[in-house]
Amino acid sequence: MDDGRGNTDNDVDPAAPQTHAALVNALAAAQNPDGGWPYCRERHGRKGTSWTEPTVLALLALGPQGPVSARGFQWLRSRQQPDGGWTPQPGVDETTWVTSLVALLPSQSIGIENSHRALGWILAQMGTNSTFWYRLRESLLGSHGAEENPGWPWFPGTAAWVTPTALAIMALEKAAKAQMTDEIRRRIGQGRQFLITRRCADGGWNHGSSRALGYDGTSYPETTGAALLALRGVPNLDRSIAAAERHWRECRGAEGAAWLKLGLLAQGKKVDAWPPHSAPRNIRDTALCLLADHAQQGANVFVD
Amino acid sequence: MSLSINRREFIAGTAGALAFAGCARPLRREASVTIVRAAVYSQDLYDTVRRLLTEQKLNVRGKRVVLKPNLVEFEPGSVINTNPLVVHAALEAFRALGAADVRIAEGPGHRRNTLDLADAAGYFETIRNFEDLFTDLNLDEVSRVHVARPSSRLRELYLPQTVLSSDLLVSLPKMKTHHWTGATLGMKNFFGLVPGGVYGWPKNVLHWAGINESIADIHTLVPRTFTLVDGIVGMEGNGPIQGKPKPAGVLVAGRDMPAVDATCCRIMGIEPAKIGYLRIAGMPETIHQTGERVEAVRTDFELLPMLQSFRA
Repeated sequence: MDDGRGNTDNDVDPAAPQTHAALVNALAAAQNPDGGWPYCRERHGRKGTSWTEPTVLALLALGPQGPVSARGFQWLRSRQQPDGGWTPQPGVDETTWVTSLVALLPSQSIGIENSHRALGWILAQMGTNSTFWYRLRESLLGSHGAEENPGWPWFPGTAAWVTPTALAIMALEKAAKAQMTDEIRRRIGQGRQFLITRRCADGGWNHGSSRALGYDGTSYPETTGAALLALRGVPNLDRSIAAAERHWRECRGAEGAAWLKLGLLAQGKKVDAWPPHSAPRNIRDTALCLLADHAQQGANVFVD
Repeated sequence: MSLSINRREFIAGTAGALAFAGCARPLRREASVTIVRAAVYSQDLYDTVRRLLTEQKLNVRGKRVVLKPNLVEFEPGSVINTNPLVVHAALEAFRALGAADVRIAEGPGHRRNTLDLADAAGYFETIRNFEDLFTDLNLDEVSRVHVARPSSRLRELYLPQTVLSSDLLVSLPKMKTHHWTGATLGMKNFFGLVPGGVYGWPKNVLHWAGINESIADIHTLVPRTFTLVDGIVGMEGNGPIQGKPKPAGVLVAGRDMPAVDATCCRIMGIEPAKIGYLRIAGMPETIHQTGERVEAVRTDFELLPMLQSFRA
């Protein structure tokens, strides 16, 4: 019997549980002794290093209550850097885009002061091609490489891209619910404009290169879903929603399906059963699928 | 470079060579590259790849070998990704040559769900227990390495432990044109070593540091390499993603990566000296060609209008 996600009774991977309860149990069991979560499932009795992204997504999916989450939040709090942000994992020194993900967690769980510092770090970031000096240089050279609407980069000192920009917008939206400032409002608006200008000809989004050397780029499911989340409330997205619905029918993979489900639900669209071939294959995607299921039940942590 | 030496001997030998280079003319570099015909993706590939590795006199007995294919996009049946049959044939050949461990590893530059991408590209179907053999380099453990004599703006780079702990890293690229660099082959394929988990998707830090220069720098960070290029059906025109299939009917292999890439360029009708990263890395003065002659298998790949000056 097909379970609706591309697995049959004959080929279901026992390490890839499908029911909601089984996904929750698998996520809790994947936690490392230090309190964080790795990206990849345990192999041959060995768990991987804890990374910030899967830890945040697991905590968002499991909720703030209980000893598992308490250990996770403790790990996260211990990992905040002096600049207010977070690094991708303990072996990396640079603070990156994952700070926006941490900022989506409830402020109380990270600490109000810590959340403010994280917000300050996010607001201080922008793609290098939007900085004053880069724009000045491009202007003097008569070049057109500058980006007018600053988005957010994956890694400091590089250009802005769709996913980190979408996540930063969502983090700022959350912060704005506590206190909207002119700077937050301006950066949300600029970030959204950045996303609009990076939309592919097919209506969706890829990593952020919608056209190169005269050729149109094609969109991806995961980035289309994330952009639709960040653009909730923005008018004239019919073409993008249609692209997301097209991706949903053809999607292969849990990450793409989960982001599409989250994005379409945020846009008020009805989403039915998971598409085939959408069983999660790693910890991050397990958490994303749970979060998408929560959104279907009415609790979308990325925008609520 | 002989693969039968151990790490200590390699370091000692390198230090000796550098000391010698300081007081004498640089050593003349020679390389051997093998071209074999392979018209289609068939079971014959297993024998062909084994013969090719034997021809190159690789000694991998007891070594940890990592195979690095080129996985880019979800388009089953397209020519974007390295064909899984070539990867499986290499896996079986290295095992048959006595390698202690052979793993497959890749870190795609745009798509984050690597296992799903590999599944869509046919790897799960072709390679038994693929998931157990595979490491997602974007999400692997990392260590920071120093770029000793950088050509790019990179001064250090995080690299995956799977790569750094390997005895031999095998680049298994697809033979494709590339709209920025002219061609993407063995060296450009190593962009996939750089961890997206640290730098993001795309690995934009490499673009800002200079694409050709970064390719050359990464090449210097992994000294024990071998290259096997899937040129059975390559890609021409607007590669590496939106180009058209181009049957070239060859596999090209060798231990000197710039030499293999230069040979592939000649097969594709591209002047190797026009490829920026090959100029920076330097090509050997002499390439000993075995198997087919370049002239016998040359088939010009269509180039974008702005790359017409790259034509040989």
